[in-house]
Amino acid sequence: MLTFGKLTYSQDKGAPFSPMKHIFKIISLLAAISAFWVGLLQASIIPRTHTWLLPIYLVVSLGCYGLLMVGVGLMQFPTCPQEAVLLQQDIAEAKGFLKDKGVDVGSD
Amino acid sequence: MELADRAVGLLLTLISLSIFTYFTFWVIIVPFVDSDHFVHQYFLPLEYAIIIPVFAGVALLSLLSLFVGSVMLKSRKKNKKA
Repeated sequence: MLTFGKLTYSQDKGAPFSPMKHIFKIISLLAAISAFWVGLLQASIIPRTHTWLLPIYLVVSLGCYGLLMVGVGLMQFPTCPQEAVLLQQDIAEAKGFLKDKGVDVGSD
Repeated sequence: MELADRAVGLLLTLISLSIFTYFTFWVIIVPFVDSDHFVHQYFLPLEYAIIIPVFAGVALLSLLSLFVGSVMLKSRKKNKKA
């Protein structure tokens, strides 16, 4: 609870990103889509041989989305070259210090 | 190397986008096109849109389980030796 003098501000009971509400939205969306698909099947608009077309399409698009996110993350990954140089200096300094103290610093 | 990472990332995005667009066209747009349009020669019959992903999924799952099984066997062998 934050207090500014006489005013007190307390956090609301409902958090903005409740973990359960998001999955209810996803489940209801999936249920709506599958109800639509089953309706299309039952009304014989789509032949029964193509029953599994929609679930397979959803799985393939989910896989493509995951691959896309991985690719985009790879492209945007920051490498921080200055920090890399500083880190190498720290490593060399630590190795020298430990070698003086007699500790085996491993591969070189 | 940063450039290699970015090249691999670009390759992955291109592959995923092309697979997604080709599959979307195949499943959603081509069935509604007239039978004598030229587009149909670029797409296999619609049954293959079910067979190929299922086959790829089964192959992926079996490769994954092979990998996990081999790793488990190797760790058990190492435990027995030590």
